Amino acid sequence: MTGRRRFELSDRAIIWLFLVPCLVLLIGMVGYPFVSLIILSFYRFSILRSDAGREYIGLENYDFLLGDPELWERFIFTGQFVIISVACQFLIGIFVAYYLQKNFRGRDIIFTALMMPMMVCPIVVGFLWRYMFNSEWGVVNYLATLFGSDKIDWLGITDNALVAVVIADTWMWTPFIILLATAAFRGIPKVIYEAADIDGASAFYRFTRITLPLAAPILFIALLLRMIDSFKQYDLFFAMTGGGPGSTTQTVSFTLGKIAFSYFYTGEASALAVILLLIIIGLSLVLVRYLNLLSTKARG
Amino acid sequence: MTIGTARKRCLWLSAVAGLALGIAGSASAEEETLTFVWHAGTCADAIVKIAERYPDKNVKIVPALVPYGPEWHGKIASEFAIKGDGFDFAMWDSQSTAEFAGAGHAYSINKIFEDSDSLDASLFPRASLARYGEYPDNSGEFWGLPVNQDAYGFMYRKDLFEDPKEQAAFKEKYGYDLAVPQTYQQARDIAEFFTRPDQDLYGWGQMGGREYDFATTASNSFLWSYGGELYNPETFEVDGYLNSPASVDGVQAYVDMFEYGPPGSQNWGWDEVNAAWQQGKLAMAMQWYYFHGSNADPDVHPFAEVTGYANLPGAVGRDGKFRRQFSVGGQGMGINVYSEKVPTLVKFMEWYFQPEQQKEYAAVCQTGLKSVLESADWQNLNSYNKHFAKALDYTNDYWHLPEYAILLDELQDEVSNAITGKKTVQQALDDAAKRHERTLRRAGYEIKRGDTKPEVPDQVITPVGKDEVEVLTVN
Amino acid sequence: MPRDDLSGARTIGAAANDPIKRALHFLPIVLLLLYSFYNMGPIFWLMISSIKDRQDLFTFPPTLIFEPTWAGYQAVFGVGEGAGAASAIGLVDALINSVVISISGTVIAVILGTLAGYACSRFAFPGRNDFLFFVLSTRMLPPVAVLVFYHMMFSEVGLADTRIGLILIATFINVGLATWIMKGFFDGVSTDIERIAINCGYSRFYAFRRLVIPQVLGGIAATSGFCFIFAWNEFAFASIISTTQAKTLPVKIASAMGATGIEWTQICAAGTVLIVPVVILFYFLRHYLLMGMTFGVLGRAR
Repeated sequence: MTGRRRFELSDRAIIWLFLVPCLVLLIGMVGYPFVSLIILSFYRFSILRSDAGREYIGLENYDFLLGDPELWERFIFTGQFVIISVACQFLIGIFVAYYLQKNFRGRDIIFTALMMPMMVCPIVVGFLWRYMFNSEWGVVNYLATLFGSDKIDWLGITDNALVAVVIADTWMWTPFIILLATAAFRGIPKVIYEAADIDGASAFYRFTRITLPLAAPILFIALLLRMIDSFKQYDLFFAMTGGGPGSTTQTVSFTLGKIAFSYFYTGEASALAVILLLIIIGLSLVLVRYLNLLSTKARG
Repeated sequence: MTIGTARKRCLWLSAVAGLALGIAGSASAEEETLTFVWHAGTCADAIVKIAERYPDKNVKIVPALVPYGPEWHGKIASEFAIKGDGFDFAMWDSQSTAEFAGAGHAYSINKIFEDSDSLDASLFPRASLARYGEYPDNSGEFWGLPVNQDAYGFMYRKDLFEDPKEQAAFKEKYGYDLAVPQTYQQARDIAEFFTRPDQDLYGWGQMGGREYDFATTASNSFLWSYGGELYNPETFEVDGYLNSPASVDGVQAYVDMFEYGPPGSQNWGWDEVNAAWQQGKLAMAMQWYYFHGSNADPDVHPFAEVTGYANLPGAVGRDGKFRRQFSVGGQGMGINVYSEKVPTLVKFMEWYFQPEQQKEYAAVCQTGLKSVLESADWQNLNSYNKHFAKALDYTNDYWHLPEYAILLDELQDEVSNAITGKKTVQQALDDAAKRHERTLRRAGYEIKRGDTKPEVPDQVITPVGKDEVEVLTVN
Repeated sequence: MPRDDLSGARTIGAAANDPIKRALHFLPIVLLLLYSFYNMGPIFWLMISSIKDRQDLFTFPPTLIFEPTWAGYQAVFGVGEGAGAASAIGLVDALINSVVISISGTVIAVILGTLAGYACSRFAFPGRNDFLFFVLSTRMLPPVAVLVFYHMMFSEVGLADTRIGLILIATFINVGLATWIMKGFFDGVSTDIERIAINCGYSRFYAFRRLVIPQVLGGIAATSGFCFIFAWNEFAFASIISTTQAKTLPVKIASAMGATGIEWTQICAAGTVLIVPVVILFYFLRHYLLMGMTFGVLGRAR
C-alpha cells in the first residue's frame, strides 16, 4: 500500500492536472466562436453572403445598435421579465422548500413529482403553454370563466403576454429553486434551531434570522444561475407570442437570434452579442462578489 | 458506499458504451443517400413514400425535417453559410430564392435543363417556374423547381351559405344575394352577417400572428387587391408606395376584418385558424391551399362535408378598378451547390418529375408539373383543385431581394402594431416605409426618389386593375 | 397533504381558538395545495392532451371525457398509423442518439467538473476566482448568437452531424454548472482527510480518489441529475449541428407537423415520453439530491 508514494504528484501538478481538461475543453469550445464574435463586431459582414467579403466599419455596428431606441425597450422588457420571473420563482420556491424540508411520509414521491416541470423539454413547454393560454379554447381561460371572468386575451396584449410568459417560466423553474433551497435548509444543523427554541424564538424569527442567512450562499448560487438563464430566455416568447404584438415581447436574446439567424447580419449580431455579454458579465460579477462576501461571512 | 460505487461504475460503463456507439454511429453504410431539408407534413411524407419505388435501390432519399418557420430557414441558411453538404437538396420558401441564389449557394436549374435529356423548362408553367425559382425577376435564371405550389385560399361553410333562411335574411339586410364574396367589401358584409358570438359563430377567420410571415401574407393580399404595392422595384422607393392611400385602404380593410373574428384571434397563425374552423366557429376563413386536404377530410373534423372552397375575393380600389391579388405560398426545390452528389440527384429528379410519380404526389400536394395540372383527373380529384388551377394567375409575392428576411420582419412588426391598435394603419405603414428604406440604404441600394407619390401605386408598377368586378367561377 | 407539514406552525397552532389564527394556521396548506395544482396541472394537461384527437383538443369548455387516441404515441414510436410518416423515420436512432449523447455528455462534464471543483476547493492558486468566473461565463451567451460559428468549427474538423460533436456540446454547456456545484461539495469535506492520509504516507491523489470522492458521491449524483436535464433537453445546438445522423429526440419532436398543422397530440405524447427517463433518474437520485447540497456551501459553517 505504501508503495503508492512512488506516484506522488506535487500539489502544483494536481492543480494543473485537474484544471487542464476543463480549461482545454472550454477554451477549445469558446475560443473560436468568441474571438470571431469580437472581431466580426467591427465589420459589415454576413456569413451567409461571405463571398461578398467584409468591410471594416469600426464601431458603426455598436453605434447603430446603441442609438436605436427600440433596443433599449428590448433591454427594459428583458429586465422586467428577469426580475419578475426570478422573484416569483424565489418567493414560491423558498416557501415550498420551507415546508418540504421536513420529513413526512411520501415526501420523496411528492418531491420527485414537483420536480417534473423542470424536466419537460423546453420546446414542448412553449407549445403546451401556448395551447393552454389560447383565448378561445385554452384551459386557463376555462378556469377564468369558472371564476366569473370573461375570456382573457392572454397572448395578444403586451402586459398579459408578459404575465403569461412569467407564469410559464415560473412554472418551469420554480422546482430548480425548490431543489436547491430544500437542500440548503436541510443542511442547517439542528443544534442551531434547538438553541433558538430555548430562547423562545418565533417561527418567523427562526426563519428570517437563522434559516435564510445560513442558506443564503446556496440561494445566491441559485439566483445567479436563474438570472443568467432567464436573460437568455427566448424559446418561450418565441413559441407563445412570436415576439408580438409588434415587437413588444421580444427579449434581447430574441432580437439577437433574429439578427444572427434570420437577417444573417453577422457583424451586427456579433456586436449585440458582445453588448449582451458585457451586461450579463457585469451583473454576474456584482452577484459573485456579493456571494463571496456572504460565504466568508457564513464561514466566519 | 457500495451502492454508490456500483452506480458510478454503471455510469462509467454507459459512458464507454456511449462513446463506442457514438463512433460506430458515425460510420455509414455504402449506399448513397440524398438528404433533403423540408418542414414535416404530407408533402414530405409523399416524397419519401414515392421515393421508395425509385428503381435504383442503392439510392436512398433521407428526410431531414424541421419545424415550419425560422428553424427551417435557419437550418438551410446555416448549412449554406458554412458551405457544407449536410443536405443535397432543400425546399425553401419562394421568397428565399433571392437570398440563397443571390449569394451563390444554389445550383443552377438552367444547367440541369441543359444537361438533362428529360428535364426541361417546358414541363412547368412559366409562371410557376418564375414564382418558385427565378432570380433576379424576369432574368430567365432558375434556381428551383416548383415542388409544392401553394396560394392563399378561401373556405366557407356551404351549409350556412346555402340555407334559404340565411339567404333571405341576408338579402333583406344587404340588398343582394348571399354568395361567395367576390370583393372584400362583400366579404365584410357577409362576415358581419354571420358574426353571432351568442352562437359561438364568427364571420371571418384570418391570421394576424407575429411569427414568421403570418400577418403579412394575409395583409398583403388585401393591400395588393386595393391597389397598393410594397415598393417600387425600379427605384427602390418604399415611401409613397407601402404607405400610399391605396395600401392603407387595403391594410385597414384587413385590420377591420378582425372585428368579425373570434376575440383574441389577432395573434393567430394557420393552426389556430384551422382549429377554429374544425370546431365550426367560422363561417368564412382565409387559409393556405396546403391545409385544404385536412380541412376536407371527414376523419379530421365534422364540418369537412360542408366546407366549400373558392379563391379569395378581390377589391374595388379607390380608383374604381377591381383587382384580385393574393399571396403566393409554397416552395421550390433547390439544389445545394456544395453537394457532391448532384449527378445522382439529377437522375433522381428526372425520375421524380415524370408524370406517373407526379400524379401520385399531386394526390396530396400541389405539383408544378404542367401535364398533371392540366389533366382533368387532377382537377376533379377533390373540391378545390380546380380553384387552385385558376389561383396561380392571381398570386403575388413579396420583395424578391436578398434582404427579404429583414424587410419581412419589419413589416410583420408594423402590421402587428396596426392590428393591435398600437398604431393607426397609416402610422404603422409610414414607419414600415421608413424602416424599409433605412434597411435598403444600409444594404447598399440607391433609392431614386420620384417626383410624385402615386395614390394607387399598382397603376405605375404592373397594372392589374379591371373596370368590372370579375366573378370567378369554376364549372 | 402530509400531516407533518403542520409542525412548522405548531407553536402558533397551540392558541388555535382564535378564528384568525386558525385561518393563518391553514393558510400555508392552502397555498401549498394551490402551488401543487399550478405545478402539476400543466403536467396533467400535457398527458391528457397526448391522448386527445384534434377535435377534442379544441373544444370549449375543455373536456375530460373523451375517447382516447393513441395516435400521438404511435407517431412518437413510429408504429401503427405513424409508421408511414416521414417524421417517423429515424425515431429509434434519435432516441439512441439522445441517450448516448446526454449520458456521455453528463458523465464527462461531471468528471471534468469534479476535478476542477476539487482543485478550486482545495488550492488557493492565483487566478482561482477568475477561473471560476470564466467557467460560469461560458453559460451566459444565448446559443443562437454563436451557433453558426460552432457549425463552421464542427464542420471544419468533421464533427458536424456526429454524436461526438453533440457530446462535446452537451459537455460544454454543463461543465460550468458542474464545476460550481462540485466545488461547493468539496468545500464541505474537511481538509483533515487529506492531511491525515498524507501524514500516513499516502499521496494526495490517492487521498482524493479513495477518501474524498466517496464523501461526495451523493454530490456527484446530484450534479449528474442537473446536467442530465440540460443535456437531454438541449435543442438549439442540436437543431443546427445535427441533420440526419446525430439528430436528437427534442429536434425530432419539434419538427412534428403534419397536414393538419401543428400535431399537438404528437407533441404532447413526445413531451410525456421525454420526461420518463428524467423522472426515473430523479427518483433514484432523490436522496442524494436532497442531502447533496448540504455538504456544500454550508459545510464550513458547521
